[in-house]
Amino acid sequence: MRRTKTCVCAILAAVCLFATACSDQLYLENAATPLALGMDLDKNDKFHFYGTVPVFSKNIRKKSQEIAGTAESLRQSRSFQDAQTAGTIQGRNYQVILLGRRLLQHDDWFAMLDVLFRDARNTITDRMIAVDGSVTDVIYLNPPDQPLLPILLRGMVDTKTKRSETYSTTAQELHRQFFDKGVTPYIAEIKIVNKQVQLKGSALLDAKGKYAMSLNAQETILLNLLQKQADPGYSLSFHIPDKPIKPPFETDMFSFTGGKPKTKIKTGYENGKFKFDIHIKTKIGLSEHLFPFNVAQDAKSLEKQASALMEKQIEELIQKMQRHKVDPIGLGVYARAKKYKQYIKVEEDWPEAFSHAEVNVKVKLSISAMGPVK
Amino acid sequence: MINTEKNSITSMQFIFIISGIQISVAVLSLPRKLAEAAGTDGLLALPLGYLLNLLCGYIIIMVMRKSSEKTLFDTVSKTMGTWVGKGFALLMAFYFLHLMYDGLVRAILIVKTWLMPNTQGYVLLILLLFPAYKIALGGPRILGRYAELVAVISCWLPFVYLFTLKYAHWLNLLPLFKDGFLPVLTAVKATIYPSLGIIAVFIFYPYLQKKEKAVSSLIISNSITMFVYIFITTICFVYYSPHESTVYNDPIISILKTIEFRFIERIEIPFISFYLFVFSLVWIPCMYIASFCMSLVFGLSDHRLPLRVLVIVLAIGTFFYLPTYNQSDKIELWLARFGFGMEYILPGLLLIYLTLYKRLHRRAES
Repeated sequence: MRRTKTCVCAILAAVCLFATACSDQLYLENAATPLALGMDLDKNDKFHFYGTVPVFSKNIRKKSQEIAGTAESLRQSRSFQDAQTAGTIQGRNYQVILLGRRLLQHDDWFAMLDVLFRDARNTITDRMIAVDGSVTDVIYLNPPDQPLLPILLRGMVDTKTKRSETYSTTAQELHRQFFDKGVTPYIAEIKIVNKQVQLKGSALLDAKGKYAMSLNAQETILLNLLQKQADPGYSLSFHIPDKPIKPPFETDMFSFTGGKPKTKIKTGYENGKFKFDIHIKTKIGLSEHLFPFNVAQDAKSLEKQASALMEKQIEELIQKMQRHKVDPIGLGVYARAKKYKQYIKVEEDWPEAFSHAEVNVKVKLSISAMGPVK
Repeated sequence: MINTEKNSITSMQFIFIISGIQISVAVLSLPRKLAEAAGTDGLLALPLGYLLNLLCGYIIIMVMRKSSEKTLFDTVSKTMGTWVGKGFALLMAFYFLHLMYDGLVRAILIVKTWLMPNTQGYVLLILLLFPAYKIALGGPRILGRYAELVAVISCWLPFVYLFTLKYAHWLNLLPLFKDGFLPVLTAVKATIYPSLGIIAVFIFYPYLQKKEKAVSSLIISNSITMFVYIFITTICFVYYSPHESTVYNDPIISILKTIEFRFIERIEIPFISFYLFVFSLVWIPCMYIASFCMSLVFGLSDHRLPLRVLVIVLAIGTFFYLPTYNQSDKIELWLARFGFGMEYILPGLLLIYLTLYKRLHRRAES
């Protein structure tokens, strides 16, 4: 009995000696956690990184510290980032990643983000945001009447996504979009207007990540409808033709709030071209019409007019995307699922095939509510 | 030689021990392997693998029914001679050591990658070995209770994966059989490694309380395994795009990183820590079986001494050498081949031999 006890004690002592080496502890004082990461190129196409680190101290009035520098890659720049802060830089808390316009004008910038996916401790739910302009302006903006930039941007993107007016594309989701050959990436886009950060809508990238085109809020909503991602509550406005205008007021405006949309996409293949028939059906509630109108009697004609207008806008949007050879709708995924034999031949260059595809859009709106006034 | 009365296990415990050995660490890389072999059609290989496993499980139970002695080792010794019996026990010991080492190394590597990259491997191993040793020491009944406990406390795990369905792209799964049957058949190969462990029936059958229910228990345990695999693979395939599933080493863990809760960031951290319970279901029973088999080889009265030697050798060995990720993949590859021979071919041969032996013996007697 005594022998077993000594034995156990000896083993325990040995373990305590050896196992005290859990060297992964980190004190909060020794950590600097940047909440935003920025990447951009300067005039000479040299890679720049940016970061915003919140400062937790009573005596310092400015609540954040900006770090920046040039580097070959993100991880390679870590020592340089460390050199600018009191603690060690930890990539575990990024909320947003900002991408400058100059960076997005080059192919294959996505490879720069490899460290996010390879170092298991980095977050991959950071929102990807394109900046129309240079990242420097955004990072050093520090408006006195707004929360910390990363928090402002994250909130801006997340809440507007609920209204389908932009995309809160995470790094992981972007990874998926890059790897899926049947879809091209789309991310949120911001711009500095009068020293204020403003949400512009969304930026569409081509298959290699190069910036292709921008969409405003209304176009983004329409794209969301095509992608079957629109949540009820989105709001669209149209100018109704043949209604009287009384300048300076544009009294021909008509706005509605959309209900749960039903989007159906039919895939076909005819004469060496893909053919997609898209049917969007939704109930709407009137939000405003600035012209006199009797909804009770003439609802049908208004429904028809609004449907036609929306159809036209969507068709224009699709034509624009076909011209730029981007397919954020993911029609390639439908082609793969339904017409695999024809799709696999063009898989490597699906955006090209999409640019020749025939896309027909049908919209059917039905007014379900007119609001409390007649 | 062994006391099966005191150490008997219920059907439920039997089910969870077998399923535990099968699922454990193997589930982590399964979606990637299926996708590498056949893209999203890899999912269709799972039911085929399931049928194969049922057949093999049935054969194993037939062998146990045919064996007249208390354990299979006694039967082999009696029918083929003592030395063949010892050789068979040695082979089994070696196989389960392999299975255990693979699981243990995988678990340590995963903890090192995801949780504690700067901590030494042997420290983690020593911490894992303590509870493992205590449980393995207890024998089948304790193992059974442990498996049961782990099954109960981890049954909520799959539900968390449902959160990823918000971003599901169901069209990824279509079309079925996109490149014909052949890729699906090659993908069946990938289901072998995650199915290894049925052969533990050879060891645990004598302890089973209701032997007449063995077949149905085995079917249930294989169904649980297969259900888990199909569920997890579907989740991964509808979340990741088809060419993306092959990029992640352990898609099951990577997918967790994408789940966001308001109250916790990086939920993979508590998850992997919790997963260690599930991972331990392979190395703890295998530790017991391996040391049990070694005790048979050396003619010892119980498995305690070999178990102690095993634990000490493991701890000291890992201090000097821990396989890298690539080497661990190699170990896995060899294990799949070794396992195919041990679990799918050996029981069949044994069954044929025992049947012939009985027939010849009867003739010789009469």
